[in-house]
Amino acid sequence: MAATSSLSKMRRQEERLAWLFVTPIVLGILIFQLYPTIFSLYVSFTEWNLLTPMRWVGWRNFVDLFTNDRNFGPAMYNSFVFTVGTVLPGTALALIFAVLLNRHIRGRGLYRAIYFIPVVAPTVAVAILWSWIYEPQYGILNWMLGLVGVKGPKWLGSSDWAMFSIIIMSIWQGLGYNIVIFLAGLQSISPDLYEAASIDGANGMRQFWHITVPLLSPVTFFVVVLSVIGGFQVFAAPFVMTAGGPANATITVVMQLYKEAFQFQRMGVASAMAYILFIIIVALTAVNLSLQKYWVFYEEGE
Amino acid sequence: MSSGMSRRQFLQIAGVSTIGLLAAACAAPAATTGSSSAPASGAAQSKKLIFSSYTWSGYEASINKVLDDWKAKNPGVDIEGQFAADDYWTKLQTQMASGVTPDVGIADYGRTVSYAKTGTLLPLDDFIARDGFDLKPFIPAAIAQYRWREGDFDTGGDNGKIYGLPSDGQGHIFAYNKKMFDDAKVDYPTVDWTWDDVVTAAQKLTDPTNNKWGVAAPDLGTLLRGNFVYAAGGEFITPDFKHMTLDKDETVAAYKWAWDLIYTHKVAAAPNPSQQVNPFMAGQTGMYFAGVWWISDFATVTDFEWDIMEFPKNPTTGKRTTSLESDGWWAFKTSKEPDLAWSLTSFLGNKDGQAKFAGLNYVVPPCIPDAAKAWYDETPPAHRALALQNVVDDSRKVHMTYYESQIIAAAFNPVIDKAFSNGDDIVSVMKEAQDTADQELQRAWERFSA
Repeated sequence: MAATSSLSKMRRQEERLAWLFVTPIVLGILIFQLYPTIFSLYVSFTEWNLLTPMRWVGWRNFVDLFTNDRNFGPAMYNSFVFTVGTVLPGTALALIFAVLLNRHIRGRGLYRAIYFIPVVAPTVAVAILWSWIYEPQYGILNWMLGLVGVKGPKWLGSSDWAMFSIIIMSIWQGLGYNIVIFLAGLQSISPDLYEAASIDGANGMRQFWHITVPLLSPVTFFVVVLSVIGGFQVFAAPFVMTAGGPANATITVVMQLYKEAFQFQRMGVASAMAYILFIIIVALTAVNLSLQKYWVFYEEGE
Repeated sequence: MSSGMSRRQFLQIAGVSTIGLLAAACAAPAATTGSSSAPASGAAQSKKLIFSSYTWSGYEASINKVLDDWKAKNPGVDIEGQFAADDYWTKLQTQMASGVTPDVGIADYGRTVSYAKTGTLLPLDDFIARDGFDLKPFIPAAIAQYRWREGDFDTGGDNGKIYGLPSDGQGHIFAYNKKMFDDAKVDYPTVDWTWDDVVTAAQKLTDPTNNKWGVAAPDLGTLLRGNFVYAAGGEFITPDFKHMTLDKDETVAAYKWAWDLIYTHKVAAAPNPSQQVNPFMAGQTGMYFAGVWWISDFATVTDFEWDIMEFPKNPTTGKRTTSLESDGWWAFKTSKEPDLAWSLTSFLGNKDGQAKFAGLNYVVPPCIPDAAKAWYDETPPAHRALALQNVVDDSRKVHMTYYESQIIAAAFNPVIDKAFSNGDDIVSVMKEAQDTADQELQRAWERFSA
């Protein structure tokens, strides 16, 4: 008995010490993450410009966003278009490139590094670079189109083309990251499966569809979930390349949120937007999670 | 057992140290912000002012030189400069929310009503009267941006108090590419030109196949400031500030003139916000309307000669009214040293202070014509002084000084942009913009009156 009680005493002491050690990070999370998150929920029900005291307005900010705000609807639509436009082609392309880079080709490491460079480059720098590529008169893209007799559009200067241009750039920039994730997934697939399939006479395409794709589905799921979250949070590229224009064609939710909070100091409206975005992202992730039983294949479970 | 004890001891010591460090880290900022002046030791009185501003390349060095001059005249007073490159206004408003503002800071004409209304700014009238500080040399439209009467929706009220001193007077210029005029054998613009003359000349200069355009249509930012609109007799808002007037005939006429250059006369390229090269500097545009701050960029052009002329007149009203906007200096009401804050504000804003800035490669000219002379005497362009003439002859306080005008403009400008970027009919777009703007104005009033 004495031994047990001294053990539990020791354990209690160690527990206290453990808490002491995690206190800095717990404090950090409480002060810099949890508190602002809860505080902004409160702010979303108020009108507050940092200058005058907060005024409680109930659900008004939320209702206004859906009924009166002229920018929120287009911003939400643009974020949705951007997400769909980047996630589907971006994931497919990353998978194809990963499969290619997984083959035993010369200079494989170099190619992998090259595809990863845009990921480590700062988005702002990449966005400025692409603005030059898209420059209608001097840009390399329209110059190249000109060589084959095509008059290129105004790209970022045209409300019809601007979002498409940003999507292309974002796919290019995000490709390397997803390739690396897929590569890791590919390397965990046992070569025995391919060997057995080829003995059974399955060609490369069949192997891809019946081995690679199903066994990579957990990785694909991960990539899709993260890309959807990232897609709805896009900010830097349209902020730098078009500032949301022309005629609001590329304004996204986070950009509009930034404008409301940091240009117009309408903290209540901005917080309401943040919470709507949060709910949308949580909902989409939940949908993704519930859909996975139809297409995601977990080897261990079978 | 002994190893267990020593580990616990180690953990205890480490834990206590961590808490100690945390406590120290938390306490440190409080100690530094606790008092701006520190007379505690009984040594020679030493006071400190906090000067705050947003900043950009070269600015901080220039302002520091002027601050040093003030310090030389005020021994025993130190100035702590707080400069922020990004999100300056959010930082300032966060400071205001916590009740810790700087003593003196850079001023923004668009925020003066909001800040004066909440009692954040120090009214300067008593100091001005006490020291006989002369406001007469200032261009009146510059001072008007910092004069506000309690309860007013906008600055400029006659009986208002002065809540800051303007530091500069930023008008607009009408620049032209002499080479393009020479090549097309067209006479240079003269002071008598009207908007019609601009179109006529532009038609002769335009050669779309070679990407040469007679003129650049004034962009939305230029129009929004009131240029062209005021000259046409238009307004953005009714005198009582209760309704927007974007659908007023004269206002529409000004926007339509700019739109016609692109879509009717086809003498201007459609706007391209993502264009990386300024079309005037690239030699693609014969005539260009721009803020005076563009002069320093245009001055780097070596491929062709260029000059400026006073703004062309509206053919109906005969007016060439341009906008005048002025950044400036505010003293804050929470300053514990209001006398020193005024001393610094007036030092920066008076004739000598403005002249000093202008001499430090500051990109915009002073708003005291006497102090601005040296800036306007510089070349290029050869006739830079005409820009001053334009401002002195006929300028009006920039539009966008009333309460939350930025928010209102952010709502209606993208609507107008549909006409300029996509070619939608400008007249119907202005009606749509009017509805949007009016709705936003009503909400601004609700907040103003709350």
